[in-house]
Amino acid sequence: MNNSPIIAENLVRHFGDVHAVKGINLDIKAGEVFGFLGPNGAGKSTAVRMLTTLLRPTSGSARVAGFDVVTEADQVRRNIGVALQDAAIDPLMTGAELLALQGVLYGIPGSALKQRSNELLERVGLTAAASRRVSTYSGGMRRRLDLALSLIHQPSVLFLDEPTTGLDPMSRLTLWEEVRRLNREGTTVMLTTQYLEEADQLADRIAIIDHGKIVREGKPADLKAGVGAPTLIINTNTDQVEKANAVLSTFGDLRPGAEGALGVGLRGGAAQVTEVVRKLDEAGVRVQHLEINEPSLDDVFAEATGHRLEGADNAPSAGDNGEEEPSKKKRRGRK
Amino acid sequence: MNTNATPTRAPMLTAFDLRSTTGRSSWQLVKRGLINTRRLPSAFFPALAMPIFNMISFSGTFFALTKLPGFPTDRSVNWFMPLGLAMGSAFSGVGLGFSLIRDLENGFFDRLRMSPTSRISLIIGPVLATWIRVTLIAVMVFVAGTLLGARPTAGVMSYICSWVAAIGISTIGAGWGLALAFRFQDMRGAAVMQLSIFLAMFLSTAQVPLNVMTGWLHTAARINPVTNIFRLARAGWVNADDPGHLSWQNAYGGLIAIFVLSALTLVFALRSLQKIDN
Amino acid sequence: MTDVVATPPTLIAEHSIAAAFRQTIALAKRSTLELFRQPALVVPSIIFPLFFAFLGNSSFGRTTSLPGFPKVNSYLQFQLAGTITQGVLFGSVTGAAALATDIENGFFYRLLAAPTARTSILFGRLAGSTLFGALETAVFVLVLLPFGADVSAGLPGIIAMILSGALIALAVGALMSSVALKTGSAEAVQGTFPLLFILLFFSSAFFPRETMSGAYKTIAGINPISHLVEGLRALSLEGFSISATARAILVPLAIAVAALLVANRQLQMRLRAN
Repeated sequence: MNNSPIIAENLVRHFGDVHAVKGINLDIKAGEVFGFLGPNGAGKSTAVRMLTTLLRPTSGSARVAGFDVVTEADQVRRNIGVALQDAAIDPLMTGAELLALQGVLYGIPGSALKQRSNELLERVGLTAAASRRVSTYSGGMRRRLDLALSLIHQPSVLFLDEPTTGLDPMSRLTLWEEVRRLNREGTTVMLTTQYLEEADQLADRIAIIDHGKIVREGKPADLKAGVGAPTLIINTNTDQVEKANAVLSTFGDLRPGAEGALGVGLRGGAAQVTEVVRKLDEAGVRVQHLEINEPSLDDVFAEATGHRLEGADNAPSAGDNGEEEPSKKKRRGRK
Repeated sequence: MNTNATPTRAPMLTAFDLRSTTGRSSWQLVKRGLINTRRLPSAFFPALAMPIFNMISFSGTFFALTKLPGFPTDRSVNWFMPLGLAMGSAFSGVGLGFSLIRDLENGFFDRLRMSPTSRISLIIGPVLATWIRVTLIAVMVFVAGTLLGARPTAGVMSYICSWVAAIGISTIGAGWGLALAFRFQDMRGAAVMQLSIFLAMFLSTAQVPLNVMTGWLHTAARINPVTNIFRLARAGWVNADDPGHLSWQNAYGGLIAIFVLSALTLVFALRSLQKIDN
Repeated sequence: MTDVVATPPTLIAEHSIAAAFRQTIALAKRSTLELFRQPALVVPSIIFPLFFAFLGNSSFGRTTSLPGFPKVNSYLQFQLAGTITQGVLFGSVTGAAALATDIENGFFYRLLAAPTARTSILFGRLAGSTLFGALETAVFVLVLLPFGADVSAGLPGIIAMILSGALIALAVGALMSSVALKTGSAEAVQGTFPLLFILLFFSSAFFPRETMSGAYKTIAGINPISHLVEGLRALSLEGFSISATARAILVPLAIAVAALLVANRQLQMRLRAN
């Protein structure tokens, strides 16, 4: 029997007429960081809510930490840690109080709990803020507290639902570092994100989900290689654009870049660059700037879904709640 | 990154005793309820002021009621103090539904649900916190009532009966409020809670005794179990020669109503919680 | 370069009483439509007073023979005036809260940016509340009439009551609008709700002052709500008379005028602050 810590078989979830998740299969190996990448509303959070026992699947099955998420929900809960999107934390309580509550809910005896709380506070750098109310915490501090809460019972599987949405770059880096450290210690991590960079940086394997279905799955490098040709970008004088494009189009499909830059997907790979330059020279095109871009996860995403994820990366707004369950609006407001 | 670690690292506690955890979890949730009350007193203040205002205004404006022949007491405060306390308790109870809706909307409750603690503790804990709040309200109302001239007619039992009724009403309100919160999961539930509790309270002997009522209200109040609870709440505050004065006869109906309605609403709440993942 | 003489665009009329009037009508229409399109806000202020009226009739029906109680056919007949006042009082909060919401979401400033007469903004809003007050009064009278809430003053009395209800709505609406203009917060306006509740309960809205005693009787005596209610009550209990009509109309009128002055002052202060 397959003993991977996260297995999903044809997992489906409907909300009335809305088919949020349309049959996904997952097999996440022990010790992996698995990235679940997709835009808002793609079905990421719904899938995670099913895997974490919060939501019953309409059909299909899933086993997490070796237990069925429906029939053995209690066992699943004992073995997983979950840091939810929008870290819902009671703002009137202090960090230490919330850890104490969480510890008791997970059945950790009083003597061990105190020590464990202190360790975790230390680990996420909140020792000094432990007796302050959460309402005084910054966004980054709340996420770190959320992470500490999810680790109180030393789970072997950790779910991180959009852990850095809305965070500043510094806080994001801190959190990434912590995730890497946990993974080194053997924790299997499933991470949902709408940030390409996050998936690229952290995940051993990723799945791209769009409209409730997984459209690509694999190692980031393999996926990028799968998109194929690298893009050659050049800048030239405006009066030479036509001439240059004529030359470039003989090497592959034109991929115009930003701000009037010209681009081409090199069918023959990066090795063709010298030949392109020679041909441009022969045609009398004066090249002002030249660069070669390897395919990015965004290219993978665009190729798989037909639209780009860019923009999600640029401005995560404070009110950005991510996807919603259509039938139960406002389930997760920001605290 | 480590891709070949073994998955077998066990959680810190593999087989803890769930029964002892239920108690500890409940107690932690009681603590959370009380911490929130202490740190956000403005949310608790209306629950405290409302019953006192209710008692003062009703006993003032309806003062003439006590002049009616056969009215159970000649002190208007004696009659309306248990009503004020009952109203405050009912709204403290359904108030639990309000805060649950907040927890559901902001996702805090997901955190509780994801923990392996028993579902019962997620209900018992907050209800116990409500009992403590209701006891506080009761003390304040008794003090204010005494200042306004309320006098017990059965000694310490007068206070105990009113307090038991208050605890009962708050439990029923809490079960009902929690269940509706689990069902609706948004503020529509709050409107239904308030309205239904309000109707249940006022279509009873809340304002006047059965022998003073006329028409449809008399019929409604007779079959409304809340009438039994009011009889219990007022047993020690009506005149000693009134047929409603403290006796086992006038107490057991209220106790049964409290027990049955609490059980029904709490089971309804637990059922609703178990269905919340659908 | 040619000289350009600045001429005002011809489409916009100059400030005039007529223009201000038309703007007031347009804004009144908006505020009235807004009320009727949100039944969830309006219906409770009709249903609850009616519920309390019927509840009171069954609860206190026997008290009408007590000393101090005026001669009435039924408790409902006595209660009619209190029911009207209660409904109008609660209904007016909705209108004022809407004004505060206008300030919160910026609609108020959009009106200011347009060449709208400043007072139209206030009066347009209040006209909606006033109309709703008249409507509520008519509904209460018509619904309770068949159950024994006779109006002794007959049809002229009913018309006077509707007028009185409208004026009460204007008075309370203006007071609440002052809160809205001062704070600019719908929550603050809603927050005055318990205050109205207290005023209502410490008045003769539910029982005659003559049956009360002690400090409570004194408070009810100086409470303006008592006087609003008792004006209306004179019409339903005593039959049509100049004195009863004057009481029912003049008391709310006087309060309305005073309240409008306060509201207008708050409006000017908010304008100056911008």
